[in-house]
Amino acid sequence: MNILIGTVLIGGAALWLWSYLPNSDWRRASYEASLDTFLFTAPRVLVALLGAGFFAELLPEDQVRGLLGSEAGLTAVVLAIALGPLTPGGAFVSFAIGAAALKAGAAPVAAIAYVTSWSLFSTTKIFAYELSFMGRQATLMRILVSLPVPFAIAGLAHFL
Amino acid sequence: MLSLRNIGADPPPLRKPRKVVDGSFLVLLVFTLAGGVAVAWTSGLDRTGVIVAEAFRFIAVLAPKIAAGIFIAATLPMLLPRDKVGRLIGRESGLRGLVVAAACGAALPGGPMMTFPLAAGLTAAGADLGATIAFVSGWSLLGLNRTLIWEFSFLPSDLVWTRYMLSLPAPVLLGLAARAVMQRRVA
Repeated sequence: MNILIGTVLIGGAALWLWSYLPNSDWRRASYEASLDTFLFTAPRVLVALLGAGFFAELLPEDQVRGLLGSEAGLTAVVLAIALGPLTPGGAFVSFAIGAAALKAGAAPVAAIAYVTSWSLFSTTKIFAYELSFMGRQATLMRILVSLPVPFAIAGLAHFL
Repeated sequence: MLSLRNIGADPPPLRKPRKVVDGSFLVLLVFTLAGGVAVAWTSGLDRTGVIVAEAFRFIAVLAPKIAAGIFIAATLPMLLPRDKVGRLIGRESGLRGLVVAAACGAALPGGPMMTFPLAAGLTAAGADLGATIAFVSGWSLLGLNRTLIWEFSFLPSDLVWTRYMLSLPAPVLLGLAARAVMQRRVA
């Protein structure tokens, strides 16, 4: 259902943009640029989504959940930050895992660190979409400046 | 919302093509192959085949979105007036540019297939790296759609509030950090 809504949204945006192309010269240039972008993007998305499938099999959800709940203190936070990017699956899996880990005894700070780390560094997002569209330099820069964020937010949450 | 120059009279801008196979793609390929071999090793070839089939089914479902996203990423920079985008969220746009970019990211309803093509399009249309990072981080950390619909339904609300309020300044700070790094690199 979510995929359908998203498809309609993005498709609508694309059509809206297309309607602004003034004449056939512009339309042809737009198709050529799209083809260029497709040749760059499609192989990356394809390989990354295959990789995401493999890594989800190697590190299943319940294992992540178990790990998050079983540790305490600083170890838990560091582990949570490390597990964020490795979380298999798409957007909402991480919230479900965070909730289940809380029930399994994880500290709230660890759950916050986990969700933050996943939001910023999800490997599926980075490999399938960010590298494919933004290129290596912009992606690396974003990751580099963002590295302290989960630690800082967990630290602040701890003292609240 | 979208203010255009008098493009009917202008020729379309030229784009320089990118290298399809580069270092980061090879790294990705190696990781994926290693993952595939590891799955074949631990769960058998049958299971590997099932996962590959699942991935292709997912890609087929995703294909219309990917196509539309690619069209947006390629066409948006042709249509957006560079000077205006640059003034709003370019290198000289200051703190205000970063706040605008972060707020747009937070308000954006779609997933990564919406965000990254848009971010790429804005970069090509004159946004600087700081604003692009503020935009992507605004979407990652503060995305309203995801937090309101999904995060609140899974996680305790005090925890969501704590995370959200602590994350609030992060996209702008990250944009500032990226600008500082870029400036040092240029200097």
